[in-house]
Amino acid sequence: MKPSDTAAPEPLFDTDQLQELRPENQLGKTALLLGMVCLAAWIANMVNGSPLHQALPGMIILYVMVMIGLVIGRLSPFYLPSVAWVSLISILMTLPFFPGNAWIVERLSHVDFLAVVTPVLAYAGLALTGREFQMFRQTGWKLVIISLLVFTGTFVGSAVIAHLIL
Amino acid sequence: MDMKLLLNWRLHLTVILASLVAEWIGILRFPLGPGVLLLLPLFYAFVIGVLLNPHLFSGMDKVIPKRVSNAAGPLILISILPFIAKFGSTIGPAIEQIIAAGPALILQELGNLGTMLLALPVAVLVLRMGREAIGATYSIAREPNIAIISDRYGLRSPEGIGIMGVYVVGTMFGTLYFALMAGYIASLDIIDVRALAMACGVGSGSMVAACSGALVEAVPHMRDELLAFSGASNLLTYATGLYVSLFIALPVAEWLYKRLGGAALKEARHETL
Repeated sequence: MKPSDTAAPEPLFDTDQLQELRPENQLGKTALLLGMVCLAAWIANMVNGSPLHQALPGMIILYVMVMIGLVIGRLSPFYLPSVAWVSLISILMTLPFFPGNAWIVERLSHVDFLAVVTPVLAYAGLALTGREFQMFRQTGWKLVIISLLVFTGTFVGSAVIAHLIL
Repeated sequence: MDMKLLLNWRLHLTVILASLVAEWIGILRFPLGPGVLLLLPLFYAFVIGVLLNPHLFSGMDKVIPKRVSNAAGPLILISILPFIAKFGSTIGPAIEQIIAAGPALILQELGNLGTMLLALPVAVLVLRMGREAIGATYSIAREPNIAIISDRYGLRSPEGIGIMGVYVVGTMFGTLYFALMAGYIASLDIIDVRALAMACGVGSGSMVAACSGALVEAVPHMRDELLAFSGASNLLTYATGLYVSLFIALPVAEWLYKRLGGAALKEARHETL
């Protein structure tokens, strides 16, 4: 990683690093890591989703959708986050007129919606860095209050507008 | 990305075991006043992850070395992708309903400006924060929003410190808070639960997952419809969020900050120093 050009003595957050972390920029490594995290999700899905053999086609479909989305994100002439591409691919493949959409949807029904997120949060908990714990201790309660108000504000703001229009 | 650290077998095994325990505990419900608080498996997975984090208890260094934990950031981004794909697959089959709800879906994006309406006055008037308040409250502080602040003010600036603070709190507690809040508000039965589903789409994968997951548990018979709405709203936020926060939210935050007398307060503080 190249050193940041800014004069900051110790940046809180490195934008170069953010750039490097974009999964579509390193497709080979991402393909391997994606296999690893899909394995974790597949096993987590056993408890409240479906048995391993039944959920396997669904997990593979998800893997393929993600990779297609990342490749498009890499090649796209304009910027959209890779998550948006992945989302668009999976919408397209499950639209009523897409060939084989019923089969895809049926296979995916064996992958539990919440079980796929459980490992994500386990990774998140394990990946918190010393810097994040330290910043949390320092800036502490004021920012916690503000953050909760920020989250409440965006949620209630959107919900009220949508409620009035629906 | 250091593959040797990212493919550390102890890290992935720990995640798998933590997930199995969390899934096995399952969903717990606690009545609170007029509503119900829902605890989802993703909560327990996060708590287990934090408790095993070597930066919190150095004894855990034996299970997962600190350098593995430091390198593991990219795995969060990658592991959310299969979920995003699963999420998208709820939108395709429901495309007709989504088009029917189009106007509500598009206009509720403006609700994302609600971040500052509630939080900025409190930050400036009650907590007496300076320009940190602008960075902290103009958006929900996810990666695209950080990029904007970094570009405009730099991350060592007060605005940068503000947004990084909310980013860190969001990373640590955002998911949990969204699930608790969404499940609870749904159980109060005041706002149309489809509107709540749209409000879940805030442009953060794990937050939208927790938020819509909690709604589905609160109103299980509307499962497919709710997931489709929150997924569509989230996608819309990914596509428009950057522009809304750059061209609308940030100027409005600057204006509101001046209106609230934030600048005057700060000068006064300098004089007393």
